[in-house]
Amino acid sequence: MEEEHQDKEQSETVRCSEPQSHCSLDEPDSLQVANTISLENSSPVKLDCSTEKPCRSSSDTVKDIDSTNGPSEPEPEPEGPEGDGMSTRSSELSEVRTGEENGPSSQPQGTAYEEDQPENVSDSASTDNTLEDSSEFVVTVLARGSLEDQGEGPSSALSEASSPVQAQAPSHRDEDVTAESWRRHRKHVFVLSEAGKPIYSRYGNEEALSSTMGVMMALVSFVQSGDNTIRSIYSDEHTVVFMQQGPLVLVSVSCSRQSEQQLRSELLYVYNQIVSMLTQASINRIFERKKNYDLRRLLAGSEKILDGLLNLVDSDPSFLLSAVHCLPLASSLRDSLSQILQKAITPNLVFSILIAKNQLLTIVQEKTVIEDTRLEPADLHLLLNLIGASSAFQAGEIWTPICLPLFNPDCYFYAYISYLDPPECTVCLLLLSTDKEAFYAVADCKRKIDEGMRTQNALRSIARAQSYSASQVGVSDLRHFMYKPFDVPDNHRQLTQFTSPEMEAPYSSEEERMRLLDLYRYMHSRIHSSSRPLKLIYHVAERETLLAWVTSKFELYTCFSPLVTKASAINAITKLLRWIKKEEDRLFIRNPPKYSTTPNPSKGSRGGKGGSDRQDTTDNGFLSLL
Amino acid sequence: MKVKSNIDIAASPLRVSKRRVPRAMSDSGKMKKPDVKLVLLGDMNVGKTSLLHRYMERKFKETVSTVGGAFFLKQWGPYNISIWDTAGREQFHGLGSMYCRNAAAIILTYDVTNWQSLAELEERFLSLTDTANEDCIFAIVGNKADLTDPKALEAEEMEAEEEGAEQPPSHPASPTVLKQVKREDAIALYGRVLRYKAQDERACLPAERMCFETSAKTGYNVDLLFETLFDMVLPTILKKRSENSSPTVDLEECRGAKQTKAGCCS
Repeated sequence: MEEEHQDKEQSETVRCSEPQSHCSLDEPDSLQVANTISLENSSPVKLDCSTEKPCRSSSDTVKDIDSTNGPSEPEPEPEGPEGDGMSTRSSELSEVRTGEENGPSSQPQGTAYEEDQPENVSDSASTDNTLEDSSEFVVTVLARGSLEDQGEGPSSALSEASSPVQAQAPSHRDEDVTAESWRRHRKHVFVLSEAGKPIYSRYGNEEALSSTMGVMMALVSFVQSGDNTIRSIYSDEHTVVFMQQGPLVLVSVSCSRQSEQQLRSELLYVYNQIVSMLTQASINRIFERKKNYDLRRLLAGSEKILDGLLNLVDSDPSFLLSAVHCLPLASSLRDSLSQILQKAITPNLVFSILIAKNQLLTIVQEKTVIEDTRLEPADLHLLLNLIGASSAFQAGEIWTPICLPLFNPDCYFYAYISYLDPPECTVCLLLLSTDKEAFYAVADCKRKIDEGMRTQNALRSIARAQSYSASQVGVSDLRHFMYKPFDVPDNHRQLTQFTSPEMEAPYSSEEERMRLLDLYRYMHSRIHSSSRPLKLIYHVAERETLLAWVTSKFELYTCFSPLVTKASAINAITKLLRWIKKEEDRLFIRNPPKYSTTPNPSKGSRGGKGGSDRQDTTDNGFLSLL
Repeated sequence: MKVKSNIDIAASPLRVSKRRVPRAMSDSGKMKKPDVKLVLLGDMNVGKTSLLHRYMERKFKETVSTVGGAFFLKQWGPYNISIWDTAGREQFHGLGSMYCRNAAAIILTYDVTNWQSLAELEERFLSLTDTANEDCIFAIVGNKADLTDPKALEAEEMEAEEEGAEQPPSHPASPTVLKQVKREDAIALYGRVLRYKAQDERACLPAERMCFETSAKTGYNVDLLFETLFDMVLPTILKKRSENSSPTVDLEECRGAKQTKAGCCS
């Protein structure tokens, strides 16, 4: 089933490649484009490459090339809608690879290609040593999976890949990029500039990877030269997804079996996190002025923020669902927290956000802002990640510019970040202002909030608040679920949220949790498949049974014990939906409150009061599906 | 409104002693705008956050790269001293002048094992101090002295004895990293800073007193640095106060004072 799915994707890729591109292929010009680019970029790292050539690796490469091209070439042919386009595509692919692969003619595989593109090979062979080395890597990365199959028996590539990730978490920056363990990471993410300059790599030092990134850029510009865009490359075990955003190119090399769409959205998160630190306008400006600018100068020190983001993306379903997870809280307590925030305002304050245990407690928004646009979950995820990755110690109050890319990619907000409960530092206050100079005024708001929390003893109540267990639903066989209600007209300005219980046994270990998330990701990819979207899937997996259901009102993923029957699962879902309906006041932020801080401060206090009038009449419809 | 503010101003000398009471009672002393501002500047990874952390929390901890700037309030006698720990990353360069506005003291920090970090101070950070007070005090601080200086390492042992805290069982017997920046270089930079600010070298504090070598890791010279500076900025506070009792009404000041009173009565 899955293979079939992949093939479809592949045929799509093929379709998007226009026939003309193959014409340009035969012309030496286009080849030169690829060659020159990889040359330019790889030349500064000759040193690294020459050390990177133990004889063992070269023999490995040979194997790899064999195995990648073996299966991947013939695959598209039977399914292709346009026979011609198809075959040109596959030849194009192999050519893109050969363009970089066939450095040393000593490699037997090289000769196999020579038959197809004699000029090409001689071209690249004569160019530079660096070429062959970098390409060697890309190919091996692409084909790593098949190598594993040969070498390490039948164990699943997935579990193998995830273990080293956890084992050596802290020092990814110093990893040896030639080591097998490096290649075995579950998901690599690379960011480079259009000039092929490395900007970020999830694992290993970007500097050591410049030749690799050069090859990536070569692939991108090679396809670009044919008025086309490279989107992805599939091999047995790996999916390579390319995304260009302005002057930046982002590449994901993954063996996580996620869909291209999912990987693409993850790359978009990475791009947006970079924008959140620099703004899109300034990134574009920098590269307009100087094409080969080294963006790491500006991002130095931010690698941990990107690392943290990628870890979150892998482990937190909020990113998959593009929704915010809020901490379940009695609605009366949530309301009183909101009121505390509503009272502490100052001109130009636009968002007041209270967070505990990395989950949202409440959010209050400026009135005119909320009418104009709303806070996207993705922006909030980026903010939460920033807070998680920056350590304010205890009494410190942070004041930093931050851009919310989906809100406005070109402007900065100024974020005030402070913990309300030092030294535990679990409850975090985030105030966003549009005024760069407003630190003291905003810090004063925090004092008021502190005061309000103290008088209501709110911190203690927050500390008692907990997520819930799936067993509380009272449906046997239900192990876990994720429920995301869609906006309905009455609550149009709602923040998109989802609710989900704690992952409990048998999903208490890190690996098992990841496995469940992978199953959810698989279900999600089927539901949201661009070629064949589904509304309902009943999926019997090895150790559990999953049911995913999407309607116009909600999106639901459930996980049952393996012995559940279809009928009882459907029955359970009915019960679950009824339970959620009953608990929705606690599980969701129903009416994000507002305040008004428009320039006239006297108006502000009135607006604050007005905002606190809850619009209880608009509740109907939020969950009226039963 | 005007009458009220006048009263506050008249009462200002008293406020100093009065303000301490509510603070002790309810920790609401932070309500008051700080009296004076001190800013830590320097390239990334020289240890600005660690220095401040060592001073405020009495310990050394792995820190992550600072985002923007972090604000801390330190009570020094009857005064509130605000300390801005800024990010050294180029990304936040544009904000530097904002953090430095009206600063009474600026700590220019470098890493004794990294020559470039000293050069950066002059190239990148000195111009940020344009917005600081005219009579701003400068300190040049070389951090990570424990890596090069046996004296700084010893501080760790003393500290350990004082605290009675657990210490790593072994640490390198002798410093191994090459010292790249000599004290003379820092002193020379101090001279150039004064010239840049067009301050008269003879009238200013002597370089010998304003150049420090510290270790956030062992605590060497850290207290000395901060406390020397705190004492040095006191005259600035007093001057500011006397200026405030001039006919110009500072509404901010008054609001702060009112809140304090409310806190006191309630």
